[in-house]
Amino acid sequence: MTEFFKILEVAIWSGVAALGFGILFNIPKKAIFTVFFLGFIAGLIKFILLHLNTNIIVASFAGALTVGFLSMPLAHKIHQPPVVFSIPAVIPMIPGYFAYKTVLAVMNFTFIETESAKRGELINDIFSNGFTMFFILISLTIGVSFPLLLLRKTTVKNMSRKLED
Amino acid sequence: MESLEILKKKTNLLLDIAITLMVSGANTNRANTSINRFALVLGCRAFSMISHKTLVMTLTDNHTGETYTKVQNMPSYAINFTTISCISKASWKALENSWSFEQIEEEFKNIRSRKRYSRIQVLLAVSLAGAGFCNIFGGDYISMAVAMVSTFVGLFVLQEAHKKDYNMYFRVLLASFIASSVASLGVVYDIGDSPDLALATSILFLVPGVPLINSFTDLLDNNLLNGQVRFTSGLMIVMAIAMGLFGALLIFQ
Repeated sequence: MTEFFKILEVAIWSGVAALGFGILFNIPKKAIFTVFFLGFIAGLIKFILLHLNTNIIVASFAGALTVGFLSMPLAHKIHQPPVVFSIPAVIPMIPGYFAYKTVLAVMNFTFIETESAKRGELINDIFSNGFTMFFILISLTIGVSFPLLLLRKTTVKNMSRKLED
Repeated sequence: MESLEILKKKTNLLLDIAITLMVSGANTNRANTSINRFALVLGCRAFSMISHKTLVMTLTDNHTGETYTKVQNMPSYAINFTTISCISKASWKALENSWSFEQIEEEFKNIRSRKRYSRIQVLLAVSLAGAGFCNIFGGDYISMAVAMVSTFVGLFVLQEAHKKDYNMYFRVLLASFIASSVASLGVVYDIGDSPDLALATSILFLVPGVPLINSFTDLLDNNLLNGQVRFTSGLMIVMAIAMGLFGALLIFQ
């Protein structure tokens, strides 16, 4: 049960982080709750999957994909273009800690460590953290933009139908 | 002659709308679609070449067949999702109710004069986001407070540097260095259970999420050139963040 509350708390903070970025990007006032909600859902899905020992790249992709798909009906409901809340909502999933560990390892490798065994470990750190970061970033962008690209077909269709009238 | 003057005015308005969209952080496809919608309403066809710093547009009048072409430079980018949302809505309304040129011009003027969130609101919201990040990566409450304070200071520096019109990447480097330096104090004095998490999250407010995500949508849309430009710009920001963090780590560790 405490595990559950822990996940819930993290998800709420994900929502707060999404909202903070939303304010930074100057989202419309109407979209504030939606951004919080999507950030919350994304965090919830990601951390539940992580709790079930899913790979972090897959978990992030699942979160981003959910945001992408949920943002379509929500966009129609509150009459906003979906990007307005789908981009802030995935930002809390950005792999900051992996980026930090990569930079730290690069710095130790270049400036500090001289022992060759430890240097080998650092190369391992650089690659595993660096590539995890890279793949999370890619899965976030693809996860969030793929549903939007699917949606676009229909809007363009509506438009050309209008043209013919 | 009269009709050419009108066409010129229409081109200017459409150029302004397209540039505002791009600068506010819309992807290339959205800028194109919105322009096409407005052009449709105004009885024209628009063809535009959109790049990162310049926009070229040719507007053709459907009735007279006259064309007018104009090139315009873009101001610096300032992400504003309210503007994107309002212009998108206006383009639908214009299409549905067949707005006149004056109506579109008036609505666009209104959209432009809308106020942003105040500076203090942004500072507080982003600092809270920094604390949230720290929690997401598993930080305790004291580390979250450290992350919050360093984010606040870092964003404050970023805004001040923006006012002074420093180079964009230098601004990011400076803010990253300051924010991670403040958070490094937490590591030096061992504040909280996970000071390194606070350090890692103190710089995340600088992450170029919008350029990177737009870069991928542009690439997937086959706007390859703009996609690459955005990716490069995002990459430069990431490198600036890393350099700032690097500097702080070198000094404090």
